Amino acid sequence: MIAIGPTFRALLRNKVGALLLALQIALTMTVVVNAIHVISSRGDLMSRPSGLDEANQFYLTSTGYASNFNEALVVAEDLRQLRALPAVAGAIQTNATPLGSSGWSTGLSLSMDEQASGVGAAVYFVDETGLDTLGVKLIAGRNFRANEIGEREKNAIDWPSQIIVTEATAAGLFPDLSPAQVVGKSVYISSTSQTTIIGVIDRLQAPWNGWSGVERSMLIPQRTLFGSSRYFIRAQPGQLNQAMRAVQDHLDQHPQGRLIRNVRTMDETRARSYRDDQALQGVLWVTMTALVIITALGIIGMVSFNVNRRRKQIGTRRALGASRNDIIGYFMLENLLTTVVGLVLGSVSSILLNIWLVDTFNLPRIGWLYLPVAMLLLIVVGLLAVYGPARKAAAISPALATRQ
Amino acid sequence: MLVMQQLTKKFRTDDVETHALRDFNLNVNEGDFIAVTGPSGSGKTTFLTIAGLLEDFDSGSYQLDGESVQGLNDKALSRLRNEKIGFIFQSFNLIADLNLFDNVDLPLRYRGFNAAERKRRIEQSLELVGLQHRLKHLPTQLSGGQQQRVAIARALAGEPRFLLADEPTGNLDSQMAQSVMALLEQINQRGTTIVMVTHDSELAKRASRNLVIRDGRASEQVVNQRAVSQFASA
Amino acid sequence: MFSYYLRQSLISLKRNPILSLLMVMAIALGIAAAMTTITVNYLMSADPIPSKSDRLFYVQLDSWSADEPFLEPNQPPDQLTWRDATELMRAAKAERQSAMATSMMVIEPDVAQQKPFSASVRLAYSDFFPMFNVPFQYGQGWHSDADQSRQLVVVLSHDMNERLFGGENSVGQSLRMGGRLFQIVGVMQPWQPRPRFFDVTTGAFADMNDVYVPFLLKEALTLPNGGNNNCWKPLPDATFQAYLNSECISNQFWVELSDQQAVADYQRFLDNYVTEQKKLGRFPRPLNNHLSDVMSWMEKQQVVSDDAQIMMYMALMFLLVCLLNTVALLLAKFLGKTPEIALRRALGANRRQLMQQHVLETACIGIAGGVLGLVLTWLGLLGVERLYQGNLKDLTQLDLPLLGMGMLLALVAAILAGLYPTWRACAIAPAGQLKTQ
Repeated sequence: MIAIGPTFRALLRNKVGALLLALQIALTMTVVVNAIHVISSRGDLMSRPSGLDEANQFYLTSTGYASNFNEALVVAEDLRQLRALPAVAGAIQTNATPLGSSGWSTGLSLSMDEQASGVGAAVYFVDETGLDTLGVKLIAGRNFRANEIGEREKNAIDWPSQIIVTEATAAGLFPDLSPAQVVGKSVYISSTSQTTIIGVIDRLQAPWNGWSGVERSMLIPQRTLFGSSRYFIRAQPGQLNQAMRAVQDHLDQHPQGRLIRNVRTMDETRARSYRDDQALQGVLWVTMTALVIITALGIIGMVSFNVNRRRKQIGTRRALGASRNDIIGYFMLENLLTTVVGLVLGSVSSILLNIWLVDTFNLPRIGWLYLPVAMLLLIVVGLLAVYGPARKAAAISPALATRQ
Repeated sequence: MLVMQQLTKKFRTDDVETHALRDFNLNVNEGDFIAVTGPSGSGKTTFLTIAGLLEDFDSGSYQLDGESVQGLNDKALSRLRNEKIGFIFQSFNLIADLNLFDNVDLPLRYRGFNAAERKRRIEQSLELVGLQHRLKHLPTQLSGGQQQRVAIARALAGEPRFLLADEPTGNLDSQMAQSVMALLEQINQRGTTIVMVTHDSELAKRASRNLVIRDGRASEQVVNQRAVSQFASA
Repeated sequence: MFSYYLRQSLISLKRNPILSLLMVMAIALGIAAAMTTITVNYLMSADPIPSKSDRLFYVQLDSWSADEPFLEPNQPPDQLTWRDATELMRAAKAERQSAMATSMMVIEPDVAQQKPFSASVRLAYSDFFPMFNVPFQYGQGWHSDADQSRQLVVVLSHDMNERLFGGENSVGQSLRMGGRLFQIVGVMQPWQPRPRFFDVTTGAFADMNDVYVPFLLKEALTLPNGGNNNCWKPLPDATFQAYLNSECISNQFWVELSDQQAVADYQRFLDNYVTEQKKLGRFPRPLNNHLSDVMSWMEKQQVVSDDAQIMMYMALMFLLVCLLNTVALLLAKFLGKTPEIALRRALGANRRQLMQQHVLETACIGIAGGVLGLVLTWLGLLGVERLYQGNLKDLTQLDLPLLGMGMLLALVAAILAGLYPTWRACAIAPAGQLKTQ
């Protein structure tokens, strides 16, 4: 009983209605494909690891204000006592954190020449416990030694003679060398100071998540005397809350002419850093879901209306021997044909919209997989939407055919 | 009053051309009660829709109340329909969501009467058909015969010169048909000209003139009632 | 006839309540999605200082490295060096001008209960206040003498005055900042232009500063840099003075120029200045100095975020789907009404009257959809604000023009959606429809 030919011809007679539905499905597909694409590309951005042991880390800013504030002394004393707290696994003074959106970067190059090619990398000041406290893994070379940690004044322009870089930084400077081969190489910081790469770590993101060089950073073995600095603290596994409380209590009890502010966990920092991306994902999810629902309701409305208009015709078909399933099948098939036309149009417009988004907003191109997935989704939604009204149609009594 | 001369109407579907009316002539006088009969597909309905200004014709002339309707625009035709013609349909064609008052109100609205005038006419015409006490009822709450009475009240409310009735008793049982027919005769006696298409030869006999349409042409059967009934049963 | 059409429309809408509700919901959701995102975009792209946005100009000098532009394609830096900022101030060639920078200072309140805290500082010249129409609650900006003599004077933001003095008039009192006593000369009224046009280098919708002090105090007190600092040339030695004389950029510069002639004159002045500097071995790049008025500066700095635009385009497509949905449903509905339309035609309604009635019917859907849509817009904006948690502060407020625009959009959308179905339904010949009811 189900035949594409007659169904299709019947559809052609209500061209405009079917065309409208097909267009609607095409646009829905276009939005769904591109929204999922944006959502997942933001998801990819957000899932990049920072290299830290984020779940167990937090930091705070310590700013000296008293005229008798002796930074070198206070920081050393603070760190010594914080490291002694039972919930604290490590504590360092630094200037920035990954995902923190503020920090330093400077150029690394292979020669002193200002025009020499080089790469920009984020700068993190650490001491010999930096690797453990940050939770980064040394993949080549060695860590800093305690006697290599120097001091850095506010407007200092020169740099120490040993640095540790991330694998991405090493690869940026020496594309053809393995991390182990990079160890021992001499490079220039800010085109002025010669320094030696003594170690390579696997990963430590720069503070700016939108920067194209986000994977490039370097560790500098210096204690800073800038008047204001960060304490970056790693708690014993699972003891973040205890560690935060203990650290704050300790610092509150030892005022020392400095003030403590911006106490923040890495989890919170990550959430802040990607808040706009996460929010855009949320907005697009809502838009997409509402759109699919609207389209489904539209199909339900149209089919219900058609069923009501064709009650007599359906009764006649039933009287002529069509089974309930034949009637359901008829409406399902009718909708499927419309949907398929819409999806073909939708594939084209999805790609066109993506091309425009790529050109205008520098989004990545969509993967081909999105198209069949969105098609399948819309076909399923369409069939589910038709099923209700189609069952109602199937329930129409054959006796209706004989009545006025 | 209503004069059709050499009226022709053709329908074209793909490559078949059918003449619904050909060289159709008719002269309706004021006060006539004309029953129109004829086999299915003979052109009765086409005649009625053209007479009711619902459809255009291809050639010939049609004068309604001394005025040629040829070349009139939609607005003028609508006004003519509204003022001069009342329609009665086989399936009543009442609007299900509107109560009796509002159904009868329909043509008066398009006429542009003020509220008081409309109310007076609605009540008067519903009284004429004996339904003045059911103004607020919906059509579905009435029997078929009562619904047709409402439709007649609606047709009369604007006090048209012509009533065009298309099988007015076709959906009614014989008892109700009799009473609707009696009502139409009563209306005719008050001076309204009626043209009624019907299958029912008994009813046709009660009209003052009998018109038979066959293959798109009209022929008048003044006396020979038997011949008419033959066509009707054919 | 209007009230009659209106009543007929409502009866018709009640006839298929679910279908009508679907259409109203479709329009409402479409309007809500569109208006929520349009609101954010509209507020992002708003003119923050409409009375003089065409008279205020941001100054860019191309002081960057010979090897590469600050930003492709050949864009000059978005900030000035300390040296150029102070030189332009000294020249004073515009009606009003102010260099600006940001910093951070620790405030030690006089009250024992309040602990020291750090405040964000904007360094500016006295012209800053009249130039940007800063509203004052108490006192006023400092006198221009204070700029050159580097007086320790401060203007407090409204919030800062609330925090420190409970909102009392604090003008004339002193405030310990960075270990020194500043004299309070003015307290602002709440002031938060959106976007924060005068400094978009750290985000166009970032918070306002807590306190405002004379620009040259940066040098006098060796205040640290706030905001962005970019350098292309290594510093010669490790002193603060070397930094100030360097090619590092961390200062903004605005001028007020009243007419085209003044703009042209100032542009010539800038070019001359740079040409002079070239003789000293600075400014290795070709002349590339820009004056941008407020709105074109906002555009150059892409104040309206890509994300907000992507959201808006997606939402507009959503609205389009909702409209197609409504067209399809209206078409089904109106075609279902053809017997009634034919009847009305037979009873004397002309085509125009029926068109009017049905346009009114779609307008009813539009109005209902619009009202519901605006309620949903309000909810949508709450939702967006919550999602962005403060990153869209003040960018999610409906104002009267937006409300009007929403209603109009709904109405136009519904009527547009209704045009084709109405035309189709009313174009049907009445004759054939009467028998088959």
